[in-house]
This record gives sequence, structure tokens and C-alpha cells, in this order.
Amino acid sequence: MKKTAYITVVGDLPVRFDLERSLLLGPVVASGNTNKHMRYTHMTANSEAQVQDLLNSPAIAGSSIVVPDRLFRKYCFFDAITHLPDLPGLKTMDIDPDKCTAQSLSLMLSVYLVQTVVFLVGYNISDPRELSLLRRIAEYNGQTKFTYICNPPRTNRLDDLPNCFCDTFDKYREVINRAK
Amino acid sequence: MQSKDIFYKYSLKLKWPAQCRNRTAEILSQRPDLVDQMNKFRVKINNVCMIICRDKFQVDTGFSATGVRLWFVSGQDCYDFIIRQPEFEWEVWPELDVMNFITSQLESFSIVYSPSGVNIV
Repeated sequence: MKKTAYITVVGDLPVRFDLERSLLLGPVVASGNTNKHMRYTHMTANSEAQVQDLLNSPAIAGSSIVVPDRLFRKYCFFDAITHLPDLPGLKTMDIDPDKCTAQSLSLMLSVYLVQTVVFLVGYNISDPRELSLLRRIAEYNGQTKFTYICNPPRTNRLDDLPNCFCDTFDKYREVINRAK
Repeated sequence: MQSKDIFYKYSLKLKWPAQCRNRTAEILSQRPDLVDQMNKFRVKINNVCMIICRDKFQVDTGFSATGVRLWFVSGQDCYDFIIRQPEFEWEVWPELDVMNFITSQLESFSIVYSPSGVNIV
């Protein structure tokens, strides 16, 4: 696998962006079964329903489905299923991989894989618990730059964190074009 | 040595026939009959895997006193092998090793075999 400084996390929200282009920038980690229309580098799931849906989705064939230990033991003979590694800081941040949302799992996996720049696309921060979790993960990984991608107007809910930024899809597209 | 560009994700160890188990290299050098039996055992495993497996597999040629290590690309092949080994009166070690694609580490899990299926505990 080519080493890269960028990684994209596709959150729980449906995304209207050609995510195949994101693969030109680096690995893409998708969450749950919301955006199951293409092949990603990794997909995360932490419920039975999500795993079964992903295993039965031909469009994502070739993506590795990363699941916590409990689900891995049940589905380990499926080739696509991959065991979630021991992510650092789970206990410190008080996160249970079985109970958190798939997008939080994707975010933690992304930081584990690439520690430079993480782009958050379709990431749901309207839920206060999700926003608080994102802030905790960003604070814990101070060396990583998190860029939240959204349509204008930009949100200012992450402005107080020194390593969190907000950009539009146009800017994200420019970054992809530059990296090509 | 594993072939290049093939990702053997699953690994199992199959016990040697009872009379060949836990023999040291010194004993084996004095017992060509056992060595011959072990070689025939490997050939038989290879033949059976060729019938059972739909994807690539490998019978490890490295010596181990405890058994023969097998590698499978497909989880379905590995599952079928575990389910069908009693047909040949073989015995697998109750341990499944799975290569983690992300960490590149081999992770071990205990397996419980029953005629109705295989459970990872």
C-alpha cells in the first residue's frame, strides 16, 4: 500500500460527492451501511445488522469490513471481515467499540492508520454526543489535523480546537486535484 | 515460504498421525518408517485440500513436532476443512490463526468444533 499523509473518513450521513475521487488522495474509511455504493479501503461496522447488510452488498466487494472483537469471532470465516486492532486511548477516552457509532470507530481507525491529516466527510456532528466524542478524539490526538468537510455555511463548532478545521467540498476537491 | 501476491489469511495446524507425534529430529533420523508415513500424510492432506478448496491453499513444508501447518486464502475453504477433517480421521489443533490485514500480525483464536459447526471462543 502506498504511504500517504491523507485519509478520509466517511461518516454516518449520506454523501453527495464522488468518493471514488477521495481514493486518489489516500485511504477512505466508510462507516456503517449508509454509503455502501462503492469499494472503500475499509468499512467499519459494530452491529449485526450492519455487518450482514455489508456482507450482502455486492457494490462494496473488495472492501475490508473492520469489526470489533465480539463480531469478529462470529463472522471470522468471511474473507472481508477484519479484526479491529487494539486502538490506543480507548480506555482513556472511555469509548466502547461495541457501543459507539460506526463513524467514531472509523475516526479512531483512521487516526491509527494515518496520523497526519484526517478529512471528515458526511460526519454527523449534529448529535451532541458525537460532537463531544469527536472533540475527545481530536484532543487525544493533538498531532493529527482534522478537517471537517461540509457545504457552506461552515460550522464554527470545532473552532476552539487548535487541530480542527472546517472546509468546503470545493476546497476538498482542490486538495484532491493537487494530489493527483 | 509463501508465494508472492497471495494473501493467506487463515492458518490451522493438523496433528500428525498418533505414532508420529512429538518425535524429535534425532528419533526421526533413526526411524525412516515414521518419516515415510509423515511424507505420505502431507501428500494426502495436499490431495484432500485440492478436492475441498476452491481457492489457493498451502501445506507448510517446515518441520514441527506437533503437526502440519496449513494456510488458506479463503475462510470458506478453512471452514470446510475443519468441518470435513473427521471424515479422514484427522484431528486439528483447536486453534485458528488469522492474519490481520491492518496490523500484519497473526492473531490466534480458540476454536470449538462440533458436528453442527465451528465456534470461535
